[in-house]
Amino acid sequence: MSSAKGLYNFPFSHIYVEEKAADHDLTKKILSRYSKSAIIPIAHYKDVFNRPRQSFSIQKGSPSLILAKNTGNSVFKGAPVCQDFGYDHFYYTSCVRNCIYDCEYCFLRGMYGSGNVVVFVNQEDSFSEVEALLKNHPVYLCVSYDTDLIALENLTGFVRSWTEFTMAHPDLTIEIRTKSFRKDIYEKIPYCDRVIFAYTISPQEIIDRYEKKTASLSERLSAASCAMEKGFPVRLCFDPLIYIPNWKDIYTSMCSDVKKHIDTHQLKDISVGSFRISAEYFKKLRKDFPISPLCQFPYENHGGVMEYPEPVRNDMENTLITLLQNLISKDKIYQTDF
Amino acid sequence: MIFIVCALAAEAKPLIETMSLRKDTRSCPYETFFAEDSSVVLALSGMGTVAAASATTYLLTRFGFRKEKDFLLNFGSCAGKEEGLFLINKITDEATGRSFYPDMIYDLSSFGLPFSSEKALVTVSKVVDSLSDPNLLYEMEASAIFQAGARFVPPHRILFIKYVSDSGTDDPKKITAALLTSRARKYTSTVLAVLNHLGDVSEPEINIDEELFISTALALRLSETMRCELRQFFAYAQAADIDMEKILFGLHDEGRIPVRSKREGKEVLDVIRERLI
Ligand code: SF4
Repeated sequence: MSSAKGLYNFPFSHIYVEEKAADHDLTKKILSRYSKSAIIPIAHYKDVFNRPRQSFSIQKGSPSLILAKNTGNSVFKGAPVCQDFGYDHFYYTSCVRNCIYDCEYCFLRGMYGSGNVVVFVNQEDSFSEVEALLKNHPVYLCVSYDTDLIALENLTGFVRSWTEFTMAHPDLTIEIRTKSFRKDIYEKIPYCDRVIFAYTISPQEIIDRYEKKTASLSERLSAASCAMEKGFPVRLCFDPLIYIPNWKDIYTSMCSDVKKHIDTHQLKDISVGSFRISAEYFKKLRKDFPISPLCQFPYENHGGVMEYPEPVRNDMENTLITLLQNLISKDKIYQTDF
Repeated sequence: MIFIVCALAAEAKPLIETMSLRKDTRSCPYETFFAEDSSVVLALSGMGTVAAASATTYLLTRFGFRKEKDFLLNFGSCAGKEEGLFLINKITDEATGRSFYPDMIYDLSSFGLPFSSEKALVTVSKVVDSLSDPNLLYEMEASAIFQAGARFVPPHRILFIKYVSDSGTDDPKKITAALLTSRARKYTSTVLAVLNHLGDVSEPEINIDEELFISTALALRLSETMRCELRQFFAYAQAADIDMEKILFGLHDEGRIPVRSKREGKEVLDVIRERLI
């Protein structure tokens, strides 16, 4: 994309507001923060979000915000490609669709036809769904699955409200996955030992190349460390591992950085997994990024999942696990297998 | 290429003159004008949704819209409360009640189209005698151009720029050709500046060496599926800046290309993958 400076409008320069969501308190709160944006009323969020032939990558240059009410389910059973960390009742919720970060490998590019961000303002309905599940069994809920909730906290306040909700429901554990640098969040939310903050950790070279707009490695480690100081359980996710020709060097040096900045014995656990994505979603990524080595890499299709060829995958995962075993006991390392 | 659809010659005249567009003298279903350097093509659709949809389809198919490079613009007059030039962010088709949304991605404020110039528009079936909602604009083609265009054009490459010619009238004859042209002329420089700016916006494409690809696929006796795999190798080599030609010449020198059987072809394909990674 030839992108002269000033080509794009600022992020959320346009906010589409669904009729049903217009009167919701959260809608009003969000709109009051974006007084310079153009507000466009819509009948249904899909009229904008599901238009044909949208370009995820172009829209990422100037994402619009869509405020809507989710009238269907918002809590789903975890997919097999997700790491369940040994929890029997693993669910995820989708209160925000899409993310303000711009990772080239993000599965959302394949899952959604749009790079715009949808916020479902009726979080109270997701709470009711979770309460219904909790009547039957404990629940492990990934709340930052289709987005990075911490990155959107100023907008939505969802990290805070999910934390408060979790505190009030002893059988609920939530995971908030992030690539954010924000530490102030830990001052602003109440402490709860069933709120797990999961930081995706990548070498700085991978962040620079493929995880645009996200926090640097040192910022993520510093934020993770801050969460641990406040007593929150913290998980480090070395997932996805991304192949580049000098991957061994950069991942080795990343592990030394982790050791330097984090008291690894305090970590709840660690997850390791090389990049993998549904073949269906991946078709769109390849179209979207014709000149990206990551997207054009000759992956292998194993049962509908695109993965690195086995020798590459094993080499990367085993190397990482060996490096990480110097930092944390083996039983705290979860490797993705499916 | 910029594709422009205008309903009336009176609306298009200043654009045609300023860009020195030439009339296509071949027989065309719609009057068509084009720039010498093929950077712009413009069709006059006539009034109403049926004409607008069919002229849009004609223009996009005849000149082959490329979704990574081209833009579609609908420029024309409308009824509105106040005079001005407006960028349209929502189009509602009055007949069906359906609404359509072009992407509002590009910052056009420095060209005279700031956020305050954005408006929603209603496409109606006849000239309006008054504005049922004074905050909206009313005209007769946009919803059809959007719908016909959306089959070829991504929403970030379609643009609706409208100028107000009247605030509704019970006598369409009062909206004269001279009025439409003089109002359009007022905004020509803004429209041209926007088009110049957007004309440079292009998205990356992969361009593999087709000749080398085909000769390799033949020399390796590849099946259709294996050809797809080889094409992906070419794409990766280009994206990762790897010299595919060197890898293939190396295999020639080693006597592994050409192959004698499909099985050998498959083996060599695996070797190419190994050398790429
Ligand atoms: S942070 Fe996660 S959700 Fe956001 S773009 Fe990156 S991979 Fe996607």
